[in-house]
Amino acid sequence: MKRRQGWLFFIIFLLTFSIYLLINFPLQLGLDLKGGSQLTLQLVKEDGKVTKEELEAVNAVLDKRVNNLGVAESNLQTLGRNQLILELPGEQNPLSASRILGKTALLEFRTQKESTSSQLKNLQLQRLKINDLVELFKISDKRSEETSLLLIDNLTEIENDLNYSSNIEQLFERLVETKKYINNEIANLFNKTDLSGKDLINAGRRQEQTNNNWEVSLSFSNDGGEKFAEITKSIAGTNKLLSIVLDGESISEASVGSQFINTGITGGAATISGNFSAENARELEVQLKGGSLPLPIEIVETNTIGPLLGSKNIVKSLYAAICGLIFVGIFMIFNYRILGFVSVISLIFYGFFNLALYSLIPVTLTLPGIAGLILSIGMAVDANVLIFERIREELINGNTLIRSIDSGFQRANSSIIDGHITTFVSCFVLFLLGTNFVKGFAATLGIGVVISLFTSLNCSKTILRFLTTYQSLRQKNLYLSRSTTL
Amino acid sequence: MTSLSFNLIKNKNKIFGFSTFLILLSLIGIIYSTFNTSYKKPINLGMDFIGGNELRIDRICKEECEIISPDLVIEQLRTFSNNKNVLNNIKLQIQNNNSLISIRTPYLTIEESNDLISNVDKILGPLNYESKNSRIIGPKLGKKLLKNCATSLLVSLFAISLYISIRFDKKYALFALLALFHDLVIVFGIFSWLGVLLSIEVNSLFAVSLLTIAGYSVNDTVVIFDRIRENLKQNSDNYNKTIQISVNESFRRTFFTSITTLMPLLTLIIFGSYSLFWFSVSLSLGILIGSYSSILLAPSFLIKD
Repeated sequence: MKRRQGWLFFIIFLLTFSIYLLINFPLQLGLDLKGGSQLTLQLVKEDGKVTKEELEAVNAVLDKRVNNLGVAESNLQTLGRNQLILELPGEQNPLSASRILGKTALLEFRTQKESTSSQLKNLQLQRLKINDLVELFKISDKRSEETSLLLIDNLTEIENDLNYSSNIEQLFERLVETKKYINNEIANLFNKTDLSGKDLINAGRRQEQTNNNWEVSLSFSNDGGEKFAEITKSIAGTNKLLSIVLDGESISEASVGSQFINTGITGGAATISGNFSAENARELEVQLKGGSLPLPIEIVETNTIGPLLGSKNIVKSLYAAICGLIFVGIFMIFNYRILGFVSVISLIFYGFFNLALYSLIPVTLTLPGIAGLILSIGMAVDANVLIFERIREELINGNTLIRSIDSGFQRANSSIIDGHITTFVSCFVLFLLGTNFVKGFAATLGIGVVISLFTSLNCSKTILRFLTTYQSLRQKNLYLSRSTTL
Repeated sequence: MTSLSFNLIKNKNKIFGFSTFLILLSLIGIIYSTFNTSYKKPINLGMDFIGGNELRIDRICKEECEIISPDLVIEQLRTFSNNKNVLNNIKLQIQNNNSLISIRTPYLTIEESNDLISNVDKILGPLNYESKNSRIIGPKLGKKLLKNCATSLLVSLFAISLYISIRFDKKYALFALLALFHDLVIVFGIFSWLGVLLSIEVNSLFAVSLLTIAGYSVNDTVVIFDRIRENLKQNSDNYNKTIQISVNESFRRTFFTSITTLMPLLTLIIFGSYSLFWFSVSLSLGILIGSYSSILLAPSFLIKD
């Protein structure tokens, strides 16, 4: 009896501690409960074998970009061997995030090859034309047949001039592809130098004074500043241009004036003015600040949930969980009387312990997670049912109450442990192999299984022992349902 | 309740007959689904596995939302967009008193998906963006998910089998596993039929439910087999009779456990979020079938003629 009293205090201590934890460290809710966007990013590599170092490197770059995005509480973590998960709480339109993160953002500075001026001029002209078409496309929101035909005619003309054809059907996509092709071709007219995005220490953006366009400013490291001076010196006063190439596309070409012929452009700073909109300039700024990605990435999943839907999901799940508990409680008390009452109390303890562990580990609570919790209630009750059935049999066989309780717990032990192990095995595998969505379920069900072993084998027993110290609660018929005849 | 008893010995053949019937029905569903449907798969795979775009959003209506036919909406969408990939494969439903729009299309980029929403807004708006739920899954990820789910199913079935064969002797282990596969095939078959008849799709949560059912069903069977072993040790004279008594002794427990597990699941089906609806349904079905197979089918294997 003494030992059990120790357990009683221990359980009360645990309960107090759980409540303390829950008050001070509130549960973390997943995006499906509070609203926001979640992006799954996958590293693209031809042989598909991404090393741990590569994943870490991509993670580091993306982490910097994410921090510069300015979304509060954003969270980036790796998933498996070649994926990353980005959570943006509260973000309802992940478009800009996806554009910022999806680009490799490899910045290069290139100098023009010999005698390519006429080719360059032609390409630049075509680029102007295509930019006009893109503008026209954007202005004409609801396009008539006429504008569509006009756009297609002009685009085909440009493509013919370039000797380029794409088999894309979507007009806008086709415009974008052709523009990309032109920028690629331009970049190919330039020689690579050893100056790249790695030599940057910072980037910024500002509005140009003359028009509404934005420009992106670059600050080089000491080393980079020297390289930049060297490069500009080599082409100053010639008719060769300097091209700034981003991911293989030339975004801006500039000449270097003859006044720089002796020293090159010093000071370690440069600006890119390539007809940026405010948004484009911001995107490039964030990308350059974060550095370029060692491997390209692809966005393979996007999930957006409105905040209203999130709070609806919480309410619905709460309803389901509470109603489930109440029904189970009524069923147990009806069938097992005092024993049922004991199981209800240990179920309440069970709930608190679970939630406390979620905030301690911490486990982010998601919808599948709640499903796991609700299902684990069923499993926790199962253990109680197994024990109570044994106690009942012992009582019917004419054993004393205390003895029946003892042997009930003892004899149900192995079945309970078996059942919990099989469920735990499933959870373990799910947690290892599952997606983020599935992991939530596996985590809560798995934790539930472990806690249920403690509450059903220990809490129930301790509470029962405590209750049976009262003489008035020791009548056998309080432990058997009415239909049972002794 | 206590007087409830099954005559397993007498009804053994009926139980086998019933289970064979269910299995055959499931297999027919699986075969039919593989060869005679547009998707040519044993089960109607949802967008988790094949990629795609799903959008659910509420309309804001002053009083009641007016009725509008989905076909008309798609017709009007054509005037706003010429994205054939979207328009030729779009599935649009308007539910909940015409207030909830749900749209399924093949894989779209985020831009295309945003375009689609703003076009729908022009036709059915104003829309309540606070209630938006949009999911875009690339086809590559889908394939990976399918592979992952299949691997987790196989690995954990193997792990459970291993545990059972260590825990029990060969005969018991074999029968427990037979009962387990019986349950899984039937639940799978039911969803094959649901796919064929009602175009219900399965997603990664379905695989999770199969795994959970596996754990649950084995657990139930183990409890009954434990009882049988325990009783056989004490009374090995009348083998068949002892099995029958053991089953009837464990019946209350299995029945009660099923009920206490089904209750929370039913509340999830009724009150829970739509994304957990089919998950809860398949779990409930699995628990019903699992209880049947552990009370009646698995012990029947043990009964000698």
